[in-house]
Amino acid sequence: MADKYLKKEALEKLIAAVSSSGGCFIAPTTDARQVVFKSVEKAADITHDYVLARNSYKEFVFPQTEVVATFAVRQHGIGLTGKEVAPKETVIFGARPCEAASLSSLRAVFTWDFIDEFYTKREDRTIVMTVACTTGDEACFCTTVGLSPESTAGSDVYLKETADNGYLVQAISEKGKAFVEKYAAVFEEQAGAKTKKLFMPEKIKGIDLAKITGRLKNTGHYDEPVWAELTRKCIGCGACTYVCPTCHCFDMVDEGTAYEGERRKNWDSCQYDSFTLHASGHNPRDTQFKRWRNRFMCKFSIYPDKFASKGCVGCGRCVRVCPVRLDITEVMEELSK
Amino acid sequence: MENALRKKAKELLESGEVKVVIGYGWNRAKTRATPVFITKPEEADRLVFNPLCVNNLSVYLTRKFKDIAALGRPAIVAKGCDIRNIVVLITEAQLKRENVYIIGMTCSGVVYRQELWKGELKPEIMPTKCGNCDVRNPHAADAVIGAKSTFVPPDAPAGMVFNKIKEIDSKTQSERWGFWIKEFSRCVKCYACRQVCSLCYCERCITEKNMPQWIETSAHPRGNLSWNLTRAMHLVGRCTFCGECERACPVNIPLNLLNQKMIMVVKDSFDFKSGYDEKTHPPMIVFSPDDKEEFIK
Repeated sequence: MADKYLKKEALEKLIAAVSSSGGCFIAPTTDARQVVFKSVEKAADITHDYVLARNSYKEFVFPQTEVVATFAVRQHGIGLTGKEVAPKETVIFGARPCEAASLSSLRAVFTWDFIDEFYTKREDRTIVMTVACTTGDEACFCTTVGLSPESTAGSDVYLKETADNGYLVQAISEKGKAFVEKYAAVFEEQAGAKTKKLFMPEKIKGIDLAKITGRLKNTGHYDEPVWAELTRKCIGCGACTYVCPTCHCFDMVDEGTAYEGERRKNWDSCQYDSFTLHASGHNPRDTQFKRWRNRFMCKFSIYPDKFASKGCVGCGRCVRVCPVRLDITEVMEELSK
Repeated sequence: MENALRKKAKELLESGEVKVVIGYGWNRAKTRATPVFITKPEEADRLVFNPLCVNNLSVYLTRKFKDIAALGRPAIVAKGCDIRNIVVLITEAQLKRENVYIIGMTCSGVVYRQELWKGELKPEIMPTKCGNCDVRNPHAADAVIGAKSTFVPPDAPAGMVFNKIKEIDSKTQSERWGFWIKEFSRCVKCYACRQVCSLCYCERCITEKNMPQWIETSAHPRGNLSWNLTRAMHLVGRCTFCGECERACPVNIPLNLLNQKMIMVVKDSFDFKSGYDEKTHPPMIVFSPDDKEEFIK
């Protein structure tokens, strides 16, 4: 499919077209002094000057709280009614190339030993429209984990901003091609518009992913003082896991009265002390640096070991959100030695 | 100031008086201050002190951090506002005064958030607490580092938080309810506000008591409301307005408004402000025969 062109003003038409066909349009917008992914109704609500939205768009494929079943205690037994998920077409506009690569990581987990339809059905109806970065900040490290603003992996439609206030549009996946065809009236033919220069974060020299993964393979590293020294400042707030586009842990809870209620699937975090607390009172990860080590292991050892997809995409959200500025790249550098 | 701090830290570690100095250091790029734990005298030069040192390090003195306690007696680099939290911890029997060495730093204010720093400390990038600070000269320190501050806080507290509280107070009850429901609706239940708070030191928080589940873990309106109000109520008469919870909140819930409002209510009703004197217990945990309320006698 030949490249297309999208005028910024035409976003209004695209939002209207997606909405009128029953879909939902998610884009970066400013809410409570932050740029966040949220459903938008008009193009004027879209923020264009941002590095990354504060939240990852994973919440639209993997909601923070979701009812999976309802239950009621009856005279004879318990009635459990499963919930069917029937998602709408969801367009994520303004994702960055780093986070676009994260959906395959989520999918790997949610289809690993069990097909979690709450996830897959949503993802199947999601269109990721990535806008390549023309700006960045010191927390960005995509180039260090093998991605870049030019990576198209995970994007359905990949856009590059042009000097004349539009976008050069490339349909990447089959889903993306079908999307561009479906809304063909909004897109124009490409006529040689000049694209803006992309922001390329400098690759952190001291980091070697293969070395990190190699070092983590031998669990002898568990007892090395490096973990406590580098990460004992972690306060265990879990904010990093909530903004991370690849973190996916959840907890099942029953809420309601003693007689009826809902079974919910809620985000959970490996940074909480209760995450691994056993009923016996024993906690295998009894101090915070061990919990932090676990998250690092998940990204750079468990993921590469089990799945082909990336555990960390280098978006830097965890670095920005951390109240004690625990920078994952500083630990990566130390573990590359 | 930094040299004096490093010298002091070195002395304390060399003499064995303390085993760890909890302070601030640079990140790799030297753009952000971050907590550091200095255990060897030769590492004392990593310590820094500047307006980016926003963290209230007193959280590391709580019993949540068993691995830090295991290092041995700590010294802590603390601004006056941080010392107020340490005083509350002592009052509430979480810490013995002699078990911590307080290196008090005279302070001319910090930035509200580190990313606002452009090389100059201006009132517009400082939190409301700094403009009203009466502890720029640390009040309960074992050693004080830095030149004496001559700053005098205004008689009537002023600043963004106070203006906003006035504005909210002037609204009707249903408008106030609407305001807070909207603010709490963004809560993601990450509990960063709790974790960063040195006065939220319970080893088992009420959110983790699940037989029955007192606070619903779902990030829905009911769960969010019960969490945020419970957190606030548990800090009545204790919160020192250090502002860490609002700073840590990833979704910008204005927790400072809630906390300061409670502080004002406690001040009006009991003439009490927390964190100044370890001998005076907070009003919520004392019984006095001359309590002004009849029902309690």
